Amino acid sequence: MRVTLTVRPREKPFLPIEAETIVPRNFLDGTDTTVWRGNRELPLDAVFSVSVEGNAETAAEVEVVMRGDTALIKRVGEYMDAGRIVVEGDIGMHCGNFMSGGTIEIGGNADGWLGREMRGGSIICRGDAADYCASGYRGDKKGMTGGVVEVFGSVGDFAAEHLAGGTVIVHGSAGDMAGAEMHGGTLIIYGDCTRPCANMTGGTAFVHGTAYDMLPTFRRVGTIRREGRTFIQFTGDIANRGKGNLFVGDCRYMD
Amino acid sequence: MSELLIRNACVIDPINGIDGETMDIAIRDGRIVEDVNDSTAEVVDAGGALTLPGGIDSHTHICGTKVNFGRYMSPEDMRAGRTPRMGRMHATSGYSVPTTYGTSYRYSAMGYTTLLEGAMAPLEARHTHEEFLYTPLQDTLANTLFDGNWAVMEAVRDGDTKRVAAIIGWTLSAVKGFAVKLTNPGGTEAWGWGKNVSCIRDPVPYFEVTPAEMIQTIVRANELLHLPHSVHLHCNNLGTPGNYSCTIGSLGLIPDLNDRRQTLYATHVQFHAYGGSGWDDFCSRSEPIARFVNMRPQIVIDMGQVMFGKTTTMTADGPMEFNLYRLHHNKWSNHDVELETASGIIPVLYRRKNLVNSVMWAIGLELALLTENPWQCLLTTDNPNGAPFVRYPEIIGLLMSKRYRDAEFATVHPETGHRVPLPAIEREMDWHEIAVMTRSGQAKALGVLEIGKGHLGVGAEADVAIYPIRIDEVDPSVEYQKVVDAFRCTDYTIKRGRIVSRRGECLVDGNNTTVWVRPKISDSYDMVRDEEFVRKFDRYYTVRMSNYPVQEEYLRRNLWRRNLCIETEAEL
Ligand SMILES: [Zn+2]
Repeated sequence: MRVTLTVRPREKPFLPIEAETIVPRNFLDGTDTTVWRGNRELPLDAVFSVSVEGNAETAAEVEVVMRGDTALIKRVGEYMDAGRIVVEGDIGMHCGNFMSGGTIEIGGNADGWLGREMRGGSIICRGDAADYCASGYRGDKKGMTGGVVEVFGSVGDFAAEHLAGGTVIVHGSAGDMAGAEMHGGTLIIYGDCTRPCANMTGGTAFVHGTAYDMLPTFRRVGTIRREGRTFIQFTGDIANRGKGNLFVGDCRYMD
Repeated sequence: MSELLIRNACVIDPINGIDGETMDIAIRDGRIVEDVNDSTAEVVDAGGALTLPGGIDSHTHICGTKVNFGRYMSPEDMRAGRTPRMGRMHATSGYSVPTTYGTSYRYSAMGYTTLLEGAMAPLEARHTHEEFLYTPLQDTLANTLFDGNWAVMEAVRDGDTKRVAAIIGWTLSAVKGFAVKLTNPGGTEAWGWGKNVSCIRDPVPYFEVTPAEMIQTIVRANELLHLPHSVHLHCNNLGTPGNYSCTIGSLGLIPDLNDRRQTLYATHVQFHAYGGSGWDDFCSRSEPIARFVNMRPQIVIDMGQVMFGKTTTMTADGPMEFNLYRLHHNKWSNHDVELETASGIIPVLYRRKNLVNSVMWAIGLELALLTENPWQCLLTTDNPNGAPFVRYPEIIGLLMSKRYRDAEFATVHPETGHRVPLPAIEREMDWHEIAVMTRSGQAKALGVLEIGKGHLGVGAEADVAIYPIRIDEVDPSVEYQKVVDAFRCTDYTIKRGRIVSRRGECLVDGNNTTVWVRPKISDSYDMVRDEEFVRKFDRYYTVRMSNYPVQEEYLRRNLWRRNLCIETEAEL
């Protein structure tokens, strides 16, 4: 079954829409659901023109396609457990919160908190992702625990913060504090970043480019070769008795 | 004139000697009266359900700077207890440190109508009073901290009890406080020097007074002021193995000075009843403490029960919280309140699988069960330090059922049995004892019977809680789950004659009262006229003395909200 949601032109397009109901499983019972704009609950077809092709027995057989100006549609795929969501353009904040299975594919950019506290499944973002990509949430000590987030562009600050399991792959560069408070899982950054893995206690992180403002509380172990490249291996963050592994292609300390 | 008639109430009112009698309660204009006009009064049919005076919490942390710090350092706690706006109810959030409305609604659903904030720093009193305004369904009172007060410590050092009383009297009136609280006396000042005091005989740096001297002098000063409540003490050395001897030493300092109530209220004694010389041989010493209390009517304690799960600890005891931080390595906050006290906050998780936590859980229950007179050991968790107050119903169940305790005991750390006397205690508390431990005992200990709290006699404030349980049909020893469920949510909570909560839904905006004291002190002991006091105040405080008092406007958001000042005749 394929559900296509095309955003209708909105009078005030800068008002975000809370759309945690857009999850494949919910469409097994039809498309009679609602979303919120501010304190106003709206029927789904007031915001989207909805078309459905085919039918499905299980959530895994449902594909949701989102078209049009989706940049301010928030919480799409929250608690998603199976199926597939394809966003042709950009997507708003908190896409894939707590997701445990299935796939989300984003053709454009993702706003903040993409795949926050994710438990399983996979998210692919062809553009950039903003801050707190694949991170935990305010105050909590455990972030993403499973699954894969792959971003082909760059990500903002605090990517993979509190990472506890699963894999985060960034093909571009990451901002400040990538992998902060990490205690498990794998973080791979193909570009550069600044101050990676502050307060890390476990897990593994690779920075193929240069780690700027490298933290002095990581102890240099030696060098290794991987995928035909040489990495400098560090362990830390020893400021927090950490035993994480950080591999960087190159690093610069702060002056 | 508004009239309300509660019919067929199965009343337990320990103050008036009523124990499970089915009767009607008549209410007019917020007070209990002999009778009302049956044909015009609003009628509530209790249907034989258990009916008690409104619950009173005599030690809880709900309002003020440190509570708020707990809120903003734990955004994850805010996520834990969210409820949407509904009818008259605002949206709420938070579990161990809820928003003020969250606190008020949840207490109201449990039948509580009066709350005493356990620790208000005088300098930060405005914040506490502002949050009281938004705790609309309970009357509020504030313990005021004097544990590290420079002027008080100097007067104690000089042996001048009357001057101590004068300073306390002026400060209580100025900050609209209700009672004197000592949190780790001397220790909070020592913490300003990076130190602590280990027990009552350690001198405080610079001031060269000991906690023992402070406790003894301030207890006498409290009686000179004729305050409704006694001194409210959080003993030195909280949370360390072997601290029970320090606790007994502190309680042993207290003479019997008042025939209407206790002379000392020792709070959250669970945290002060530890044996052993370290964490390896950590064990319960509830027995010697309970025995000590049993022999001394001048002491009242509260449990400070620990329940397993997540919570936030917050206290004026800064050095203790720093030690906890060193144990847990989690986030932490510490404050110094200039010239007065300190504070610290950290989140904690009490785990069944942890031996120390299991022993702590047992000690609170033991204190309640081993203290023979329920008027001397009141039910608290030192909310939220031992557990959030929403766990009270489970504690009531545990106190009433040996079977429930045994079932829980089977799930704690297996070593616990060697460290605590709990499994051997057979006592099961009855409904009357629970009523004492959750309202009447509190009213007597706080000295608020006179203003009509904690009982249902004619003239009392019409604060009533009707719980959906029939005491003639339920055997709490076996059907403890029914007891727990009943105490979680009242059928009706009535506050000053109005139904404020019905099956957990709060129906009105509420108009609570802040109760505070103003001792009448002669001009010769008026601190405003005392040159030395004024000079040092202006020299050391960062606020001017004229800006320090909390104006009465802070206690009143609108005209119908009362603030009740209890005036006392001080012997000064
Ligand atoms: Zn307390």
